[in-house]
Amino acid sequence: MIELKNVSKVVRSGAEDLTILDNVSMTIPDGEFVAITGASGSGKSTLLGLIAGLDAPSSGGIFIDGDEVTTMGEDELATLRSGKIGFVFQSFHLIPSLTAFENVLIPMEIIGMKEAKSRAGQLLVDVDLTNRGHHYPTELSGGEQQRIAIARAFANNPKILLADEPTGNLDSKNGQHIFDLMTELHRLNNVTLVLVTHDQALADKAQRQIRLKDGRVLSDERNGER
Amino acid sequence: MNFIFNLTFREIRSSWRRLLFFFLCIAIGVGSVVALRSLIQNLSQAVGGDTRALMTADFEISSTNDFSPTDIQKIEEIIGKSTIIEARNEAITSAAMTRPIDDSSETLSFVELKGIEPPFPLVGKFTVSDGKAFDFKLLENNGAVVSPLLLDDLKVKVGDKIKIGDGIFEIRETFQEEPGGASGFRLGPRVFIEKKAFDSAGITNGGGRIRRRILYRTSGNPTELVKQLRENLKGSILTVQSYRETQENLGEQFTRTENYLSLTGLLILVLGGVGVWNVARVFVEQKRKSVAVLKCLGASGTRIITVYLLQILTLGFLGSLFGIFLAQCFLWFTQYRFADALPTSLSYNINFSVAWQGILLGGLISLLFSALPLLQVRNIKPRLLLHDATGEKTRRLDWTKTIFGAVSVVGLLALAAWQAGSLKVGAFFLVGLGLTSLFLYLAAFVLTKILRNFRNLGSFAVSQAINSLYRPGNQTRIILLAVGLGAFVVLAVQSLQANLVREFDFTRNQTLPSLFIVDIQKSQIDELAQILEEKTGEAAQTLPTIRARVAYVNGQPIDYQNRETRQQQGQIGREFAVTYRPNLDKNETVIDGEWWNTPSDVPQVSVEQDMALRLKVAVGDSLTFDISGRKITTQIASIRKLDLRNTRTAFVFVFAPGVLEKAPQTFAANVIKKLPEIERQRLQRNLIDKFPNIQIFDVADIVAAFQKLINNFVLAISFVGSFVILSGILILVGSIALTKSQRIYENAVLKTLGAKRLTLATILFAEYGLLGVLAGIIGASFATALSFAVSKYIFDIAWEFDLNLTLLGVLVTAVLVTIVGALASFDVLFRKPLQTLRSQ
Repeated sequence: MIELKNVSKVVRSGAEDLTILDNVSMTIPDGEFVAITGASGSGKSTLLGLIAGLDAPSSGGIFIDGDEVTTMGEDELATLRSGKIGFVFQSFHLIPSLTAFENVLIPMEIIGMKEAKSRAGQLLVDVDLTNRGHHYPTELSGGEQQRIAIARAFANNPKILLADEPTGNLDSKNGQHIFDLMTELHRLNNVTLVLVTHDQALADKAQRQIRLKDGRVLSDERNGER
Repeated sequence: MNFIFNLTFREIRSSWRRLLFFFLCIAIGVGSVVALRSLIQNLSQAVGGDTRALMTADFEISSTNDFSPTDIQKIEEIIGKSTIIEARNEAITSAAMTRPIDDSSETLSFVELKGIEPPFPLVGKFTVSDGKAFDFKLLENNGAVVSPLLLDDLKVKVGDKIKIGDGIFEIRETFQEEPGGASGFRLGPRVFIEKKAFDSAGITNGGGRIRRRILYRTSGNPTELVKQLRENLKGSILTVQSYRETQENLGEQFTRTENYLSLTGLLILVLGGVGVWNVARVFVEQKRKSVAVLKCLGASGTRIITVYLLQILTLGFLGSLFGIFLAQCFLWFTQYRFADALPTSLSYNINFSVAWQGILLGGLISLLFSALPLLQVRNIKPRLLLHDATGEKTRRLDWTKTIFGAVSVVGLLALAAWQAGSLKVGAFFLVGLGLTSLFLYLAAFVLTKILRNFRNLGSFAVSQAINSLYRPGNQTRIILLAVGLGAFVVLAVQSLQANLVREFDFTRNQTLPSLFIVDIQKSQIDELAQILEEKTGEAAQTLPTIRARVAYVNGQPIDYQNRETRQQQGQIGREFAVTYRPNLDKNETVIDGEWWNTPSDVPQVSVEQDMALRLKVAVGDSLTFDISGRKITTQIASIRKLDLRNTRTAFVFVFAPGVLEKAPQTFAANVIKKLPEIERQRLQRNLIDKFPNIQIFDVADIVAAFQKLINNFVLAISFVGSFVILSGILILVGSIALTKSQRIYENAVLKTLGAKRLTLATILFAEYGLLGVLAGIIGASFATALSFAVSKYIFDIAWEFDLNLTLLGVLVTAVLVTIVGALASFDVLFRKPLQTLRSQ
């Protein structure tokens, strides 16, 4: 379970303080598919980063399965991420010096998982890229890169998948494909899926939709309630 | 661990091209250290390894005079009691003039004459031309065994006869290998004759530069025996020396040379380190996103640093191995190019221990110079994957970086101290390098600042070229520092060479004599002076010389048991040519005391300032000289400074008139007039025919030998300097490669805005041309300053500014940098802009 209690994030912009998140609280139960929407600059990506422990809030607490993320050190956060959290980015962020197969392999090697190679092979099968494993990221299309990123995100069987505009850099066909892949893996693995998106059509397919505006929660509704 | 090793391997696989410069920087640095250290160690082995053979005995007692009966008695007292003496012989050496007896030949040569008696040699190998062992019968009845060089010099062959002094010798054989090998500086080729033939040839008549030796072979360690002999002979002019002491001294000299050369190698390695630092810094910058991704996937900062550190160490190790290969190539090149001038027994292989040292050095330099840039990995936050946070900077003091910085400096100090063999020298090197770099960097800073003001004055291309020098991450000042340092070393050496050669230029220095004649007997002087006047048209200047040794300083014998004193034995224990005269010479200045103004009951002497320092004496102290066995005690009346620039003669000790007039003396004369070579040779030949005992030094020959020595020295330093330049060039190429993406982007934008390829090429050439000119100016300015300081304060010679050399230095540096820079960036001009702009 993900729990945010009165989380605020303020950054310094020139001589002024800029509030990106303002007293945000929410709870996301295990296995739920939540879409976070809002205009650019509303604080969606920052929220996702805070949940993953990629950044620290200025105030408030974030808890994952009861453990407070905000008090963890760098190494504890690294362990948390490698064990429980998978991440998919808008710009894919594959490591350019590694092949597609090796990119999938990396999270498993970090935790020293046995049978990592066979699992990486299976994940490539799952995302339908078996024949592209030996290619480097620059040799893959955007859609293929994002599928590799999804395979990588699922490598360590995370409980939580955080996706930041995963279809934002893709055409609609590829975007739909990626979305279907994520939701299917979410369903099959019972993963909590938090999806940040601009695309209302995709957000509508989530179980729950949280709208942000100027760093505050504008609405928090289950789809179908509206 | 698997993760670390796997990722390291994968990173090397994909990044090796980018890190090639890192690899080369280490290779060149390690190569220099290993090559220089191996060469000098091998030389030490070849020259100093078998000092027993060099001495041809286990110990020797030597003197420049005949051994007196008292001396012999004192020697026998000790030797008689010894149980380790196995064999004994005597030898006598001297420099002498020789010529073929054939009067039609005009050749003559200076030779190093050695009179020997059987059994010879006591120790070592002596083989004649066909590889057979030397047989003493070859020397009997005025036979001579000579170096093959003499046959060339005199244009004679085996079987011909040569005249040495009054004696006529038949060349019976040439030798292939003389005991101890041909090491050290020699005035001429070696000639062996029978010892008893020395006296009959009248060579000893003049009494000059003759050394008599009694040599012993022992069955055990001679150290104690040598000590006893030295004690018993205290106060006499005899020198006792064992091969072990010679070995020790030579060993020390070689170790010192090796350590200094290793520091030069370390300088190149440290420059390589600057390249390493540069590459590592930009590498981390380029890896920011990958690091953030890895952190996002759960890898800790420490594990990621370990991956990159392992990568750096692997490349450092491979670079070191390649460096060792380069060093071996250097030694092969040395063999190919210089084998004739080097000892025949010299090995041209890399020493195993030095190779290990090279690997260790390469690894440590990689580590020390990449540690700080790699620590930057800790500050890369995974959140940059969400919002690019390049602008974020932490201002507070980073303790980890500070501590690592301090550790790196201490590590470098330890490396320098290790290579120099002394903490003091190591620290001096590091501080010196730091200060030089700081000054060069400041010069680069000032020049780039000044240049910035001109960016709006020139054409579009020049303005863009100037702007390019300030491109973020362009490393302009670091390149200027590194290339400037290389140019500085090479130009400083060239400038010093020019000044040194000019100083000793036979044709320019009017006060330097063309011929210098010594060992003239009193009965010969008038006739010789007359001949000189007839042949040269100038009145010959003659002066008396007396051979003397310093026996006591302030009543105390010089203590050669003392090791420090013994090491200076060559300078203070030798026989000096002294003179007496009423006036100071033109080239002399009294710096302390008075020239013979005050009448004195005690004989007075004037001492040259360096010798006064060496003997630790001042005005008023007493010096006792041994002149042909007679002791004369003198008081020091003055300390003199000699201006070697305007010298005709350079006497260390000058006596007041009235003391030495009756002492056995010879005369020296010189010819100032510049004569053509053929006339000089003819004159020498005439004089030697008439006065076989005299010795003539052809100053032109000495100057030529000196120039050859300087040229070799300059070649060696320039070679090292070129490695420094190469390191600078590598930093330049590395920097170009690392900022290439920016250059590609800029070119794409300029092309989109309508810039033609020619304009872009002009910008490229102008940028590197400017960079080269700046580096050249920095190098040449500092080289001029150093050459001035060394000429004035160390060599004490006149210094002239060489405009041509300076301009040529700046030009060559500029051209080199332009060519390298343009070659490394030229492909950028041919990239299609659309593809570049899309990928940004």
